[in-house]
Amino acid sequence: MNQPLAGYAPAPVTARMENHGNNMLKVAMQTGSDLFARVGSMIAYEGFIQYEPNPPAVRQIARDWMTGEGAPLMKCSGDGLLYLADYGADVVVINLNGDGISVNATNLLAFDAHLTWGVERVKGLAKFAGQGLWNTKITGQGWVALTSRGKPIVVDCGGGEDETYVDPDALVAWSPNLKVKGKRSFKAQSLIGRGSGEAYQMAFSGTGIVVVQPSEDSTDRLRFRG
Amino acid sequence: MAREFQRGHKAKISDLTAGTDLYVGVQITGPGLTFDISCFGLDAEERLSDDRYFVFFNQPKSPEESIQLLGAQAGDSESFRVTLDRIPPQIHKLAFTATLDGAGQMSQIAPGYVRIVAGGEEVARYSFNGSEFTTERAVMLGDFYLKDVWRFAAVGQGFDGGLEALLKNFGGEVAEEETPEPQQSQPAPPQSGAAPGFAPPAFGAPAAPAPAPAPQPVPQGYAPPPVPVPSVHAAPTIIAPMTPPGPGTVPPPGPVPAPYGQPQAPYGQQAPGQSPPPPPGYAQPQAPHAPGPPPGYGQPTPPPGYGQPPAPPGYGQQPPAFGQVPGQAAAYGVPSGAPQGAGVSAALEKFKETPTGQRWTQQNKKLVRVDLGIGGQPVLARQGSMVLYQGKVDFGYKGAGFAGRIVGNATGQEMQLMRCTGQGQVFLAEHSTNLHPVELQGDAICVSAENVLAFDESLQYEVRRIEGHGIPGGALFTMQFQGTGTIVVKTHGEPVVLPVTPTTFADCNAVVAWSAAAQVIVSSQVRMRRNAYPGDTGESVNLQFRAAPGNFIVVQPYEV
Repeated sequence: MNQPLAGYAPAPVTARMENHGNNMLKVAMQTGSDLFARVGSMIAYEGFIQYEPNPPAVRQIARDWMTGEGAPLMKCSGDGLLYLADYGADVVVINLNGDGISVNATNLLAFDAHLTWGVERVKGLAKFAGQGLWNTKITGQGWVALTSRGKPIVVDCGGGEDETYVDPDALVAWSPNLKVKGKRSFKAQSLIGRGSGEAYQMAFSGTGIVVVQPSEDSTDRLRFRG
Repeated sequence: MAREFQRGHKAKISDLTAGTDLYVGVQITGPGLTFDISCFGLDAEERLSDDRYFVFFNQPKSPEESIQLLGAQAGDSESFRVTLDRIPPQIHKLAFTATLDGAGQMSQIAPGYVRIVAGGEEVARYSFNGSEFTTERAVMLGDFYLKDVWRFAAVGQGFDGGLEALLKNFGGEVAEEETPEPQQSQPAPPQSGAAPGFAPPAFGAPAAPAPAPAPQPVPQGYAPPPVPVPSVHAAPTIIAPMTPPGPGTVPPPGPVPAPYGQPQAPYGQQAPGQSPPPPPGYAQPQAPHAPGPPPGYGQPTPPPGYGQPPAPPGYGQQPPAFGQVPGQAAAYGVPSGAPQGAGVSAALEKFKETPTGQRWTQQNKKLVRVDLGIGGQPVLARQGSMVLYQGKVDFGYKGAGFAGRIVGNATGQEMQLMRCTGQGQVFLAEHSTNLHPVELQGDAICVSAENVLAFDESLQYEVRRIEGHGIPGGALFTMQFQGTGTIVVKTHGEPVVLPVTPTTFADCNAVVAWSAAAQVIVSSQVRMRRNAYPGDTGESVNLQFRAAPGNFIVVQPYEV
């Protein structure tokens, strides 16, 4: 009876964070190396793992997130295997090697607690995008997991002065050294209700990459869980 | 997505891929059967006038190495590398054949395929199974043939007589040395232990047995055969891996390129730095020589066939200029010395942009890139479908036209389009739906209006209305496209393409597109489906299609 399901057994652990399939993240937890994960993203765990919602460290750093509803991160500690997922979104695992990445808050799934991170508001854009675009900048040596609705694409900004424009709803992550600007298509017609639908974009320039998902659904599913 | 071929289908290679350096993989297996897979290089009379162009396990390459036998890998029972522009002019046809070695007949084979991989992407696949054959013992699976340009044909025809009949057909005589080959190969399966080890994971070819670091990068460079130096008498390699690779070992095709090549778009537009011989597929995914983030659009995904991660013997490191598109000149070719080291870029390597010089490029199943600089005409896209663009692109409002307005008035929902003009690349996607660029060359297709994502402005289209009692909104709106250009159709999930038969019905909510020659009849209340989904009135409308054979409909697994 088990045979059709046997293929889905977890593979042996080879790294701290691994994909199980495309949509699931497997984290090998160990005492001493804690993990921050999105609240509500845990789908299963083996071993002894404790969860601390709204941890003080997060409260310090992510003060800006605090709009009365608590930080969307929980601290996980203990020993065992932890499985995380976000409503079937694709999971991308990144091993930061001293470099950094800026992640849209809704696309961040988990990251090592020892990484340096901070929350910043994307300048010039908060006025435009309804959800108020917050991003988390993470640097250091360790693991980060992102989610993406559909298989993402990575675009090189190429250096130079040319700008790459991204729909903020489809943006997942970008290199922190890129220059970010909000761009508004100033067209009279876009103001009278007949816009092209692409009135606001974010413009990136500099050397680095931008990660974009093939979906413009940026709602935070995990927050609706209440 | 690879283009699927049926028996008898033909296509220009240039429509499938821009490359001329092709990987041809054949998978043919059967319980207890062994096969010899070979390639015949035939002259204009379809004769094997030159024995040296009979490429098989005993003669793994043609004299100038335009045809090479690579052995089993990546789920293929046998694979070839074909460099079309190096094939000498007297060779007009390459026939890929499989002959049974030992007892058995072709009707016993398991489902198999012939596939063409170029640039690390599978571009064509002809699948076959035992039901297409009877007592044949030798089959011609597919041909590359020269008719003005190189073309590919899915043949699937066989001979009862086995290899000898095949040779006779090609005008070769069965020389004494050649006939014993089946016998010779059979008792010699000594490599069977080694072969499965490397066969299953396409990329698992360990670095250790890196085949003889040949300074000259041609044959051994990227074929990871278990034997270090494929000596001519290392024949057994052919049998050993033939059975083990199960269907599960076929590597995923990775981000899919636009299967519909654009013959009009001249490939000269690609950067001059990209010389034809090494197509992108042969590049090493991790490109250890690349400083930091790989230059430019790096190598998108590990190519299915040519895995061999580290230690590349100098073959196919793409010059940084690779993948430049004209509009952007050098900007993307510059190796960015960004401070992000191996970490981020290595993790994201597989999601890199797919480079091609075509107007429409499918980046992955759900994302399409259109290069407005190629072709120079605007694109109409559903509003809000742009996720990213580079270059100078202008987005303007585009009404759905007069007919569309009528539709809009009727339904209260006008199809909202935007016109993208300028120079640059626009990436289009919507709600993680699967996208399918369909290239029209003078033919016509009807697409349900909800499933249109974008199309070339050069296409003519009209909105049609299929009325029927019970259709939500009063009628089903379809857009009929005609002309020359590409239209991107979106589907929720993997669609199915059905041939139109006298009894072809489809749910009006699930049908996506159909060939314009098919006639649609609304057959209301054929079936009662109460509460199939919330808000349904309880009766569903089916559409019946009537058409001459050869027409098709496309249906998605999603009914809202």
